Amino acid sequence: MRVALRRGGALATFVVILIATVPAGAYLKLGSRIGTRSMTLKWNRLPIRYFVTNAGTANVSAQQFQSTVTRAFGTWDAVPTSQLSSEFVGFTAAPPVSGDGATVLGFQNRPDLEKVLGATSFMVDTVTGEVVESDIFFNSAFSWSVAAGGETDRYDLESIALHEIGHLHGLAHSALGETELRAGGRRVIAAESVMFPIAFSAGSIASRTLKADDIAGISDIYPSASFTRETGSISGKVTKNGAGVLGAHVTAFNPRTGRLVAGFSLSEDGAFVIAGLDPGPQVLRAEPLDDADITSFFDGSLNIDLDFKVKFHDRLVVVPRGGGVSNVEIKVVSK
Amino acid sequence: MAICAAVLCAAFVDPAEAQWIGRTAPHTGSVEVSGGALWSNGFDLGDSTAEETRNINSGTGPFGLFSTSSRLAPAPGGVGRLSVYVTRDLAIEAGVEYARPQIRTRVSDDAEGADAVTATERIARYVFNGSVVWHLPPLTFAGGKGVPFVLGGGGYLRELHEGNELLETGREYHAGAGLKYWFGDSRQRLGLRADVQISMRKGGVNFGTTRRAVPTGSLSLAYLF
Repeated sequence: MRVALRRGGALATFVVILIATVPAGAYLKLGSRIGTRSMTLKWNRLPIRYFVTNAGTANVSAQQFQSTVTRAFGTWDAVPTSQLSSEFVGFTAAPPVSGDGATVLGFQNRPDLEKVLGATSFMVDTVTGEVVESDIFFNSAFSWSVAAGGETDRYDLESIALHEIGHLHGLAHSALGETELRAGGRRVIAAESVMFPIAFSAGSIASRTLKADDIAGISDIYPSASFTRETGSISGKVTKNGAGVLGAHVTAFNPRTGRLVAGFSLSEDGAFVIAGLDPGPQVLRAEPLDDADITSFFDGSLNIDLDFKVKFHDRLVVVPRGGGVSNVEIKVVSK
Repeated sequence: MAICAAVLCAAFVDPAEAQWIGRTAPHTGSVEVSGGALWSNGFDLGDSTAEETRNINSGTGPFGLFSTSSRLAPAPGGVGRLSVYVTRDLAIEAGVEYARPQIRTRVSDDAEGADAVTATERIARYVFNGSVVWHLPPLTFAGGKGVPFVLGGGGYLRELHEGNELLETGREYHAGAGLKYWFGDSRQRLGLRADVQISMRKGGVNFGTTRRAVPTGSLSLAYLF
């Protein structure tokens, strides 16, 4: 039996701050609340210097582990519309949950976390909000593969590393995916974002490649000059009976390029922003957040509205180059 | 229609009698201005599917979230032209066309059962072009008042999306035929001009299909002096 597995489901902190989603820009970004301030979680000093534990696991040597995570870092670094860089510093004996100021990636045997393939934790400067350390552990209770073409019944390390490193950079989960409920949990039918919270089945290597949604998200946090100049944004709100809808998943689709980029309505008035969009007409679609656990995206205390039908906006929304279009209102109705 | 008329006239008019009204006009240096109504046919902008990458063991091929089918609708508009006769039969012409066609995108086949909609947007289209117009004196009719012509040329396409914040440009090449009918035979005269053209366009608003043929037709009031 396959089980739906959550990646990065346990976002821990070494300091007493709340990791939250930040209602700014596109995508869903991680953030921290410091006092009354809400700040995007990001690295201010680049390159991101990381260590790799000097212990592998069954079927994956430490050397193979290092080359795989370095490849995954490189995939994020290569996004042309973002300014990111990383540097492998060396091997370490420190575990990937150290809180010592060093960013460490490694395996840990956590059979108690029976649905967690990997998780990312942070240490954040409580004054500036800057990330000073982030560790990623991969659960060696699962079977892993580093084979170029993947291996049946083994999880692809590069795919999961790409997802967790997305968290390390400050991205939260994307909801661009479809799932079905099965005994034991959800199974992914399809996804169009590496940052979807539930992994593809063991044996799949499909998540080694970043999608438009991932690229828009990372570029929104670490924008290059060309990103700001060449892409645009849509902002507006999702409403039901005149009131804002919190937590609606809003997808923008460009019929010319075929790219899907999504965001959420992140406030009580239903306001959303989707940035990193190709210029041109976009089709907008709003849907309830029903393809993964709400807590994969938001604080469980929030009152996320799931009671509305999927709805397309009846206007094509034209995204300008280097600018934004605002005041778009998507009116949804109850189920 | 104009081509048919030209052919019919050619069959019945004695070429020896085919000549311009007034004989002295148009002549080299004559100027003709015209303006009127334009109609541009629509064209398909293409189909597209919002696709997600499918998980292994959940089917084959990409997962279709929803589909779109887009079309630029036919639209009325306006046209203005300025011609200068290089010879009595040949003129060079500068023109501008304006229309506000609507992009209509049918969104359907939603994987989660959303109602299909037709999402729309209206664009502003300008075409600035130049043409060579060759009048066909042997085919004139009605005592020289009716003058068939053929023309060809190229131009610059400028299409502004709604809100005027996004501009898309392109090129166009056109060929066509038409008919001028002059009221009177003085050196300065008023007339009607009808055109049908095929405009080959590249660039501008497109959803992936960058080249298309757009039939256009226009009816103008013309003044020769």
